Amino acid sequence: MSDFKVFIGGSAGSIAPITSILSSLPADFNMIITIVIHSSIDSKTLLSETLANNCDVTVIEVSDKEKSIANNIYVAPSGYHLYVENSNNFSLSLDEKINFSRPAIDVLFTSAAEIFGKHCIAILLSGANDDGTEGLLKIKRHGGLTVVQSPESSQVSIMPQSAIDNDAVTKILSPKEISLLLLEYNDYH
Amino acid sequence: MVINCAKELTILDEQNITEELRTENIEIDLLISAIQSKIGYDLSGYARASIKRRIAQLVIDENVKYIADLIPKLLHSSRCQSNIINRLTVNVSELFRHPLSFLSIRKSVLPYLASFPRRYIWIAGCSTGEEAYSMAILLEEVGLLKNTQIHATDINTEVLKQAQTGILTKALNKEDAERYQASGGTSSLSNYFSTAYDKHKLSQHLLDHISFSHHNVLQDKVFCSAQLVMCRNVMIYFDLNTQNSALTLFNNSLVQNGYLVIGEKESLVNSPLNSLLKTIDEPAKIYQRRSIENVRL
Repeated sequence: MSDFKVFIGGSAGSIAPITSILSSLPADFNMIITIVIHSSIDSKTLLSETLANNCDVTVIEVSDKEKSIANNIYVAPSGYHLYVENSNNFSLSLDEKINFSRPAIDVLFTSAAEIFGKHCIAILLSGANDDGTEGLLKIKRHGGLTVVQSPESSQVSIMPQSAIDNDAVTKILSPKEISLLLLEYNDYH
Repeated sequence: MVINCAKELTILDEQNITEELRTENIEIDLLISAIQSKIGYDLSGYARASIKRRIAQLVIDENVKYIADLIPKLLHSSRCQSNIINRLTVNVSELFRHPLSFLSIRKSVLPYLASFPRRYIWIAGCSTGEEAYSMAILLEEVGLLKNTQIHATDINTEVLKQAQTGILTKALNKEDAERYQASGGTSSLSNYFSTAYDKHKLSQHLLDHISFSHHNVLQDKVFCSAQLVMCRNVMIYFDLNTQNSALTLFNNSLVQNGYLVIGEKESLVNSPLNSLLKTIDEPAKIYQRRSIENVRL
């Protein structure tokens, strides 16, 4: 099994790229993927259901202290911050919003950096604020790989652009290239 | 904040990272120990990732460089002491949070409560009181509030003072009304509150059925013998061991066949207490203490 853990954050305009990335993964994809997407108030369908309908890997909405198990995709529940608690468990909190968001991408990325360090692959997608930049900086500083969706392929480029402007990024890729990168890491590392 | 990080960004080698995290953990342990000695709050069983984030925020708020710098402030400034406690213990609450659970309580727990001449309900970690107010409203609507005592407890004496007033920290809004309706509410939520100067206060005859007191689920003993214990969104801040000791305390505070209700995203899956409790409604997070003869150990 790969030592690498994948963390994905997205906001406005990220459902299309995230669906495209996840749908390209085979059912036996074995790197654990953890996702924070800012929940839109008007959406009545669960994000985890939308994602599950579009990919072959099992999608789980995280409960508090949920164990992370290879071969699964984990999604933050709406209204809760999601943390990597230790190398086996997640945790949740109702702490105040960060960057006007709960879940906040920075919370996931920052806690992931401290636990998994250079084994983190963090991906920041389309969005309209600067959530995720602080977390990417921390992951980069801890030797992990930081990727943003290219601003020209993003429906809303503010979020990836913020990460680029703050020098938090190692790779700038389109959704298609992000899929290929994940498949490559899954197969060869 | 982001800009500051960028300025000092250097990719550290692994040894430096390990050392940095180790130092930070020592500082956190020292701070937790100082809080324990100075105020008597034991935060050692708190889930590490989230308390670490709250401590990092305090470092920024209090304008200090290191976590350890919070220790002299804690010891010598009462303003800082209460800020630290308020920031490290999370106090968010709302009326009729997780309506699905309240709706299910109506159907599966209230008939049981109705079978007792006197009823005791314990709300552990009541924060600013909204959970207790919601329960009082629910019981009033079905005619069970009479002869019911709601014990609401919290570790934080400041939020208890607020809760005791019956005044909502935020004015009633559309979302509150929607959650009340989704909880099976049969009246109008505003009927249970009086309004003055844009503040909403729970009707006195409801408030009279709630007693607020200080209790720490991590250090104190069984609080009462109750037919229903509610502890929602408190255990998410605890690590697994601490969750288990809290659950043991709740179980021991329930009469046989009494009910336990936990938070929407909390889970008994990892708990040894799982065998002592029967699942009544998993999505609504309602469990029942098994009677002794039905316990399979």
